[in-house]
Amino acid sequence: MSITIEDVKKLAKLSRLEFNEEETKQFVQELSATLEQVEAINKVDVSKVDLLEKTVNADTELRADAIKQSLTAEQIVANAPESQDGAFLVPITVVED
Amino acid sequence: MSAYNTVIGLEVHSELNTKTKCFCACKNEFGDKPNTNCCPVCTAMPGALPVLNRDAVERAILMGLAVGCKINNYSVFERKNYFYPDLSKAYQISQLEYPLCVGGGLEIEVDGKKKFIRLDRIHLEEDAGKLIHDNAGTLVDYNRGGVPLIEIVSKPDMNSAEEAVAYLQKLRSTLLYVGVSDCKMQEGSIRFDVNISVNKEGEPLGTRTELKNLNSFKAVLRAIKYESNRQIEELEAGRPIIQETRRWDDEKGKTYSMRSKEDSQDYRYFPDPDLIPLEVSEEYIERIRAKLPKLSHQRVQEYLSMGLSEQDATLITQERSYADFFEAVLKLFNEPKFVCNWITAEVFKKLNAIEDEERTISVKPENLAVMLKMYKQGEINQAGARKIFDIIWEKDVDPVKLVDELGLKQMNDAGALKEVLVKIVNDNPKAVKELKDGNEKTMAFFVGQAMRATQGKANPKMVADIVKELIK
Amino acid sequence: MNYLDCSMTEVVELLNSGKVTSQELVKLCFERIAETTDLNALNSTYFDMAMERAKQIDMARKNGEKLGCLAGVPIVIKDNINFLGTKTTCASKFLENFVSPYNATVAQKLFDEGAIIIAKANMDEFAMGSSSENSAFGPVKNPIDTYRVPGGSSGGSAATVKAKQCFASLGTDTGGSIREPSSFCGVVGIKPTYGRVSRYGVVAFASSLDQVGPLTRTVRDNAVLLNVISGRDEMDMTSSTTPVPDFTAKLEQGVKGIKIGVAKQFYTDKLSAEVRESLEKALAWYKSQGAELVEVDLPSLDTALAVYYIISSAEAASNLARFDGVKYGTRANNYQDIVDLYFKSRTQGFGKEVKRRIMLGNYVLSSGYYDAFYRKAKRVQKVIRKEFEDALSKCDVLISPTTATPAFKLGEKSNDHVAMYLTDIFTVPINIAGVPALSMPCGKNAEGLPIGMQIIGKHFDEQTIYQVANAFEQAHKEGV
Repeated sequence: MSITIEDVKKLAKLSRLEFNEEETKQFVQELSATLEQVEAINKVDVSKVDLLEKTVNADTELRADAIKQSLTAEQIVANAPESQDGAFLVPITVVED
Repeated sequence: MSAYNTVIGLEVHSELNTKTKCFCACKNEFGDKPNTNCCPVCTAMPGALPVLNRDAVERAILMGLAVGCKINNYSVFERKNYFYPDLSKAYQISQLEYPLCVGGGLEIEVDGKKKFIRLDRIHLEEDAGKLIHDNAGTLVDYNRGGVPLIEIVSKPDMNSAEEAVAYLQKLRSTLLYVGVSDCKMQEGSIRFDVNISVNKEGEPLGTRTELKNLNSFKAVLRAIKYESNRQIEELEAGRPIIQETRRWDDEKGKTYSMRSKEDSQDYRYFPDPDLIPLEVSEEYIERIRAKLPKLSHQRVQEYLSMGLSEQDATLITQERSYADFFEAVLKLFNEPKFVCNWITAEVFKKLNAIEDEERTISVKPENLAVMLKMYKQGEINQAGARKIFDIIWEKDVDPVKLVDELGLKQMNDAGALKEVLVKIVNDNPKAVKELKDGNEKTMAFFVGQAMRATQGKANPKMVADIVKELIK
Repeated sequence: MNYLDCSMTEVVELLNSGKVTSQELVKLCFERIAETTDLNALNSTYFDMAMERAKQIDMARKNGEKLGCLAGVPIVIKDNINFLGTKTTCASKFLENFVSPYNATVAQKLFDEGAIIIAKANMDEFAMGSSSENSAFGPVKNPIDTYRVPGGSSGGSAATVKAKQCFASLGTDTGGSIREPSSFCGVVGIKPTYGRVSRYGVVAFASSLDQVGPLTRTVRDNAVLLNVISGRDEMDMTSSTTPVPDFTAKLEQGVKGIKIGVAKQFYTDKLSAEVRESLEKALAWYKSQGAELVEVDLPSLDTALAVYYIISSAEAASNLARFDGVKYGTRANNYQDIVDLYFKSRTQGFGKEVKRRIMLGNYVLSSGYYDAFYRKAKRVQKVIRKEFEDALSKCDVLISPTTATPAFKLGEKSNDHVAMYLTDIFTVPINIAGVPALSMPCGKNAEGLPIGMQIIGKHFDEQTIYQVANAFEQAHKEGV
């Protein structure tokens, strides 16, 4: 499985990360090497593996619908880079992405 | 222009009316100050974990059962990953591969024609927060973040805007009957996305577009009409339809492109490792089924057996709130036909005068029951009943007191009425003659005169009897 | 007597008998911290808060009030565990100023038992690494040899215990992050069964693999601390309802009749001679004590690392998406719009290794690759889990080396991430299988560096692990 520059650029966009050209090239190499390594999973026969996972019982193991005290708006925004009247402030964001 | 088919599928998001959010114990409440119903979980503080609300699951299953879905014994919550400031975790917890409910459907009726609209699925997910635009920028409020939602996805079984709206109305009515959602369009607790395509008769399905930002039935109706015409015009002009998301602009009455398929998101769905797959046993499903409230078709049957006409029964069950109101009045005054007549005539007249698409009956059932009882027993006449109804619709006042205060008590005293009528009969020989000649309509004149003389309190039936006796 | 030389259990007795006060202990720990700052084991310390709490506990003790089992004991927790009012940075620039608005369940449990949380331990950024060199606040140094790494990612948690800055610590382990540093620093560390300990309030790296566990100077201390932090938590759906036994109950029962599984896949040519020799000696000792050695097979063991990188990176990519510059943490200065804010904040806030894992994670989850990688890896995980269950059905515990070599030098592998990843080959399979495993010192190499032995137990059978570990420790009190 080989990775191209385009792949890395696409991944960077999905990851919301920026890389310069050199870093991008480095990622092509590194990711390719890692992917080669993870090819190891194909050595294992999984044809008989059941897909379903362990479950939680909806009837007995879920949370009852009872209100607990929330934090205050001040506590919620205490670590915010920018806030206003208890709300987080971001640059104008209009249309859904 | 040759004939085109329009093919419509709908995705409806409806907030569930649980006390708490889907994955944390914060209050599920609309309209509070920003971030006052928030905790580390719903604001995605580092380290916080979701814990599933059992009532959210139950409500989703209830709705599934009401529309004939199969409830899956095994269902999985997945993460839908994308960045947007209203999404605190940068992923939405939703369901994809193993939804809670599959299949089912609803019957609609348009222009007297019945049609069954199939459902693809109903799954449980969480709502996003709210963005408020301000001079300084955009303010992010996570009070709504994490509120439980069900997404109800139909098959592309509708072929006109009218069918789509009928489906939405039926769906909303069902949600209200089941009692799992408040369905307040104004508050955004029910929202619609439309998938639409057109194709020529006999040809394969066309490329579809998705319409967003439809906040009312009217908007859905207009948007579908606009969009299907737009697609037909594009095709007629030889331009292909682009698969894209389009936003409805209600003011301009147009849809416009938001994004095309090419730059569509890669949501990287995968099972949420914080939430173990859900096992819903058949036994549990049956216990939930036992909690299903009576739905509209069941109530129609009941009302028919009470002696209501099919038309009246249908009218009064179109919304759960109407049927509930009807039953609440009956509890205090068990005269089904009499009560129903008043509701379908007088109550509906009031409701129809409301501009909003969401209409609520504002009179208290106990007030109406008391008033109707007095009317039925002849303590007040129709004019008095209407007068009282106008008042108790606006505010919660005791109708008995109103009758006193306004002096609406019907005059049922034969002696007093006779006294009044003797004078009227003597003063109007011409009318007496007409009545004697068999002109029954003249009776209305006497009743009118009697009403005037008694400030509207005269019992009209007694008036007629006495007049007949006097002119013998 | 230097109280700092005492084990946690010993110091609890001294406190209870009134021979020392909690305030004295806190002061001693802070003196020691000041003497050993070069280790860079701690990201933040809380002297005033600790003294205040110590004072309360000393007072309560004087008044004869009922106290918790850790009352007055100074403890350090890893810097990815939220504790109200402390910074929780995850050793990331992104969170350098983040102050916890709430308590992790494990921190709350420590607090409720009277433990005094004095500091937050340095680590690899977001627990991604095997050397504690990936910290935004500089690498942690191994107290035994400061030119060497302490292991990672809980390097600070291991170093602080070894350097006697505190009596015990908490770390987290996703692929070996408690056991590898325990091995490198010569302390005892356990990764409990997945689900044994609540993850609520512990900043997630890979949710399906992360577990919190204690790092201590003795096996008994470790068992005592695990008693405190274990159990079902209503705030964590992945925490187990399996009852929690007293982990100290079987400590003195010895190993006669205990079956110890040995899988050849753990004793490969990748193992250094000194580690092999040390393990062979330990196994021989167990045999001499009446334990039975059983050969078992783990045929897919060598694929665990691949499974680990796929699953952990996928979960990490999603878990770390919340670090977007909106709600807390780094927000870049010059951004044009919200999208630019995301890109710049994350690019500035995250270190190289974190970015690497996010990129890999998004690759294996992205459309077109999901089935080939993520889904496939989840299936292989089931195969590995089954192999461990089968192996453990034939014995009580498995014993393996914790790492192939003792602690390596600072900088030795920092430019070779594949070599770094290979450090975890013996620890990663344990997380993939979800079983518990403890690392403890079983010998030293010629340079005096500790060698770690890994004792692997059945699901939820930490008790037997402690029994087996304690027997060895008691017999080798003079040092191994």
